[in-house]
Amino acid sequence: MQDSTHILQEQITDAARENAALFILGGSSKSFYGNPVLGETVTTTIHNGIVEYEPSELTVTVRGGTSLAELTRELSSHGQMLACEPPGFSDDATIGGAIAAGLSGPARPYRSSIADIVLGCRIITGEGQILEYGGKVMKNVAGYDISRLMTGSLGCLGLILEITLRVIPAPERELTFSFSVESLESAVFVNELRKKGLPVSAASSIDGTLYVRFSGGADEISGLEKTLLKSFGFVEQNVQADNTLWVEIKNHSHAFFNLESESHKNLWRLSVAPGKNVSAFYPNDSARLTEWGGAILWFKSAAEPEIIHRMASQSDAQATLFRSCVNESMRRFAPVSPALQQWYTSLKSAFDPQGIFNPGRFHDWL
Amino acid sequence: MADEAAIHNLLKELRDILQDDFILTEETQLRPFECDGLSAYRQLPKLAVLPEDEQQVQAIIRLSHKYAVPIVTRGAGTGLSAGALPHPEGLLLVLSRMSKILEINPAAMTARVQPGVRNLAISEATGRYGLFYAPDPSSQIACSIGGNIAENAGGVHCLKYGLTVHNILQIKGFSVEGEPVTLGCGGMDNAGFNLMPLIIGSEGMLMVVTEITVRLLPIPEHVEVMLAAFDAIDTAGQAVSNIISAGVIPAGLEMMDNNAIRAAEDFAEAGYPRDAAAILLIEIDGAKSSCEEQLQKISNILNTSGCTSLKIARDDKERALFWKGRKSAFPAVGRISPDYYCMDGTIPRKSLAEVLNTISTLSEEYGFPVANVFHAGDGNLHPLILYDANIPGQLERVEEMGARVLEKCIAVGGTITGEHGVGVEKIRQMPLQFTDAELTLFHKVKAALDPQNILNPGKNIPLLKHCQEYRALSQNRVPENLISNLTPAS
Repeated sequence: MQDSTHILQEQITDAARENAALFILGGSSKSFYGNPVLGETVTTTIHNGIVEYEPSELTVTVRGGTSLAELTRELSSHGQMLACEPPGFSDDATIGGAIAAGLSGPARPYRSSIADIVLGCRIITGEGQILEYGGKVMKNVAGYDISRLMTGSLGCLGLILEITLRVIPAPERELTFSFSVESLESAVFVNELRKKGLPVSAASSIDGTLYVRFSGGADEISGLEKTLLKSFGFVEQNVQADNTLWVEIKNHSHAFFNLESESHKNLWRLSVAPGKNVSAFYPNDSARLTEWGGAILWFKSAAEPEIIHRMASQSDAQATLFRSCVNESMRRFAPVSPALQQWYTSLKSAFDPQGIFNPGRFHDWL
Repeated sequence: MADEAAIHNLLKELRDILQDDFILTEETQLRPFECDGLSAYRQLPKLAVLPEDEQQVQAIIRLSHKYAVPIVTRGAGTGLSAGALPHPEGLLLVLSRMSKILEINPAAMTARVQPGVRNLAISEATGRYGLFYAPDPSSQIACSIGGNIAENAGGVHCLKYGLTVHNILQIKGFSVEGEPVTLGCGGMDNAGFNLMPLIIGSEGMLMVVTEITVRLLPIPEHVEVMLAAFDAIDTAGQAVSNIISAGVIPAGLEMMDNNAIRAAEDFAEAGYPRDAAAILLIEIDGAKSSCEEQLQKISNILNTSGCTSLKIARDDKERALFWKGRKSAFPAVGRISPDYYCMDGTIPRKSLAEVLNTISTLSEEYGFPVANVFHAGDGNLHPLILYDANIPGQLERVEEMGARVLEKCIAVGGTITGEHGVGVEKIRQMPLQFTDAELTLFHKVKAALDPQNILNPGKNIPLLKHCQEYRALSQNRVPENLISNLTPAS
């Protein structure tokens, strides 16, 4: 546990004075995500520790550089968890990095997104000011929601010093079942399960097999097989009690995400309405994986980023080049409309007038 | 600042876009729009317009922008903080005619709707697919989804299902320049700046929203409602903490104090124990087996937490009756007092007893009775201060008392508004929660999206010079008019 507020503030103030670019870095677990940044590194891991944790209030306040694993362990020791199970991609991931990346894990559609669980934050702006927004209570509508704006901002608006998160009780028991359901039909199938009141907490399709996790009370989960048999007339034999599959999927350690044999391809993430036909995005025989009951499609492609972005926009979807086969700046993120580009740049100036934080991480103009 | 010539030119051009019937300029036409649900604040706009589609909205915004005429956007007008109070020099953009449900997508569990659609109408339309829209503010029969977006509306089921911000997937609308803006896509989360939460709850100050995609949830298979009575407020508060600590998240967890219980019981005959110091209403939902498991767990906790009587609703009818008492608490209190002033502070639950004691002391000091209605699960307190606005000086004194309640909420680590918004009503208390530097960033955010201060100017974020005065007056016993500068920058 270490408070390095002043060191970080000084580093930022110095950079602002010299108009020098900074690269904000937590545990370096997601440096692959976004375009490379040229700048002096600001290491947030020196600012770490759980500041306040009140299990009965369902809130935790934590410094940005705290390891995600440490936070998860502490919550787990009180029977609690982060509802969205944010991916870490490695053991070094920090909670600040998870917030800045804005990525949620397998339970997102059934519980919350990572932005949803943010209640308040303390940030350092590009001018070195320390500001606090939101709070430590569940409901708070005073002023603009700056805290949730930090989620997914990839460090371009400010350095996250501290963050207050909502936590939830961890389920007593979880079970994963697999079903032979084509991925296109999986959205409807998962919805039917949910309409029966079954506590779905994750749903992923991998090459024609649908995996569904159920989380809930001990008795509720024990009675699942009977309920599935009664309501759907069948139960697959493959039942897993541990969470390995979901950890592998969220952290990309699952075999699907291994790009070694396809080193010329990029890994793409498509955010799309479940049930939409997205077969145009991958060749017939190629591997794909969906998460969130079909709201996320992962696929590998060697196509030009511009082409994928255009196709996505035509499907009311959004594509992100998640892992590139080369380490250079390119159109990783979907282009934005002129009006939004104006908003991005003017918001960036409001928080970071000299543009010292992570220049180019999103777009070359930001 | 918009002068008469600007309004004249604006009107002339508006008549090319909208039928005359939907451009209101006469005082008698405008009077119904002079306030929202907080009628203590009233103001006539220069004009009101009621467009029926996006093209008209876009054209209206472009014209207002061209002539620098302030725009206040209004939905159903049920807001409780005067967020939709018209601007004396401005145009009131009323979106109630845009009330179509455009699409229901059962596979994606979403509905695409126009801003004037009533909150409850979404669940009514999606019910046949076994789906519903979760956020349920007490005004849900009347309030519009556009207004819910502007205020980040809550409700009695927030504890489990979240606020408006947790249940919106996509927003379409226009920037202040009239440029089309889309936030989010057909999927769930997008890469890029997370602008949707910035817009949701921004009180119509950053953009005008004309289309919303909401997330729907499966209607729970089974519901149970419990009514637990306590002979002390503290004991009831502790029971709430015990339930949450035991790992149970009910769908709703509400508390009412004795004044609120009696008012509600007189009004709704809900079967509440009139002599209890506090009651808890607890709703759990889900699969039947899961409900049974939770019901048992909660009953055990209540019994060991000093609950004096516990009723479990026998059927749908009794469930509805239990809720009727709670949902009609505001009108019920309205019946026993000429006026009431509704507060909206949120506090950490552990400070409940402390804050209620302060409220009780203030109630005696000012001589105004208070009925407390409390979203106990998420710490959102609604003290209703009873007064009579016809007695000169009472409104000012009740506002002063309200301000002191909010000061207490801040002091224990809470916020001045949990779900009703700042609007005009709570703008004076903003400097208690935010420093000048923090407020300055709010102003910069506003200027980033609306450089000329056209959209709902003067609400939500106070001017700094007033903040200094407010803090200097310290205990702020003299109300300072923070909305005096309502005009857009030239």
